Amino acid sequence: MYVLGVETSCDETSVSVTKDGKEVLSNVVLSQIDIHKEYGGVVPEIASREHIKGITYVFDQAMKDAKIEYKDLDLIAVTQGPGLIGSLLIGVNAAKVISLNYHIPIIGVHHITGHIYASNIEHDFEFPLIALVVSGGHTELILMKEHFSFEKLGETQDDAVGEAYDKVARVLGLPYPGGPVVDRLAKQGVEEYQFPRPMIDSDDFNFSFSGLKSHVINLNHNMQQRNEEVHVENFCRSFQEAVTDVLVAKTIKAKDHYQVKQIVVAGGVAANSGLRQKMKERITDIPVYFPSMKYCTDNAAMISVAGYYKYQKEQKYDDFMLNGSGRLDINEGE
Amino acid sequence: MSKQLIIDTATKYIYLSLVVDNKEVESVYQQGDNNHSVTIIPLLDELLQKANLSLQELDEVIVGIGPGSYTGVRIGVTVAKMIGYLNQIRVRTISSLALIASASDQRYVIPYVDARRGNAFVTCLKQENNMLSFVTEESLENLEQYLKQFDFEYELIEEGKPNVKKILASNLLEDVGDIHELKPNYLRITEAERNKNGN
Ligand SMILES: [Zn+2]
Repeated sequence: MYVLGVETSCDETSVSVTKDGKEVLSNVVLSQIDIHKEYGGVVPEIASREHIKGITYVFDQAMKDAKIEYKDLDLIAVTQGPGLIGSLLIGVNAAKVISLNYHIPIIGVHHITGHIYASNIEHDFEFPLIALVVSGGHTELILMKEHFSFEKLGETQDDAVGEAYDKVARVLGLPYPGGPVVDRLAKQGVEEYQFPRPMIDSDDFNFSFSGLKSHVINLNHNMQQRNEEVHVENFCRSFQEAVTDVLVAKTIKAKDHYQVKQIVVAGGVAANSGLRQKMKERITDIPVYFPSMKYCTDNAAMISVAGYYKYQKEQKYDDFMLNGSGRLDINEGE
Repeated sequence: MSKQLIIDTATKYIYLSLVVDNKEVESVYQQGDNNHSVTIIPLLDELLQKANLSLQELDEVIVGIGPGSYTGVRIGVTVAKMIGYLNQIRVRTISSLALIASASDQRYVIPYVDARRGNAFVTCLKQENNMLSFVTEESLENLEQYLKQFDFEYELIEEGKPNVKKILASNLLEDVGDIHELKPNYLRITEAERNKNGN
């Protein structure tokens, strides 16, 4: 089964073709990161304008790479949300045109299910499993008992972990996007400052990062007031240790509680080297899988694969009323 | 036989029209509720079925590229761009304001699309011997102030079903050479870009 994947939920225009939910025949990603960098974050209207500029070019390249023709596709999977609504609408409508033009069925996919299924491209899922989803917009622990079944165990009560990274980076005067920079500098520093580990011992599977973020920002501010030199690498290291301690502790708690066979880490922050290392060090009884870098950040291969499994599970398609939705629950549309 | 599809989604109204040998055979012009994104493909599907046509049979797409609602215009342009790309057919663009103006029979027409806070995307067109042409360039203006400059009679018009015959006969259609280059005419850079340039 050949599935065309389309992803335009944020600042990456991406199209991919996969076969039988496993083999990635093409995965073209047109990133706008260099444009948004100048604004210190993604500007929604600029993102929409860039998507429409690049959309046909990305489709064309993905089809050429996959060496397949549109008429030979079996299914179109498109991100319907959550994300920037103006950006989502471009992918959804482009996908609907292909569906109408070639009479190929279409299915809407939740962006986070895509991130989770990115892991299944390189390693087969074994159920039950726990997925830790960490990105600029999400921090969630999800239990999967079978394919395409998602039970949200807990989530952040305020900032997403990637968001906290970006804000801390900005305060330290580091360039956007802050996550990779903080990660890189953290490797060169030591844990000099003791930052709080919010909710690490709480009875649930929820997270909170705004308190930690404020603590880091205040300390930086106070030190500057006192003319003390801020050791940026040590600052980054201390922040990263605090964040990853919480993420790993909560994941272990969920693992033990639900007796799972596997852990998958998904989303942009899954690329964080500190998180990767700590997870592998502290969880040794079951496998912990991280997608390779190209499948961590937003890409259409993960949407294509998720679409394949969604169809296998539900055996039904969406109709042309399918629309983008900025906010969308992971269990909606099932 | 020439088969053309006309699309415009830059205003509150969605306009889709199928033209066979210069005659509008099926069309829809209806007010939306910020939902052109939901309705455009179902409406297009319905139109094609009524006319017993498929997208692959089209010879040309004509699309309103604004100015108008940024999100709205992108819906129609995305659809036109994809149809043009998939079927490798000619795509031509037209001003969404000229499409509105074509609904009027007055000699001077001022079409506008509301842009909030008293502002509007607006222009003035003239009709002579059924030929539409621009009198002023399209711009974003305070509508009340803008209208003060005209000392002749005109019709101020915000909506109206486009007149296909007039549009096709006009000189206002522009060929999109490379389909990948097609994008809306926003008339303005984004607020973020303006703020950055201002600093
Ligand atoms: Zn994402």
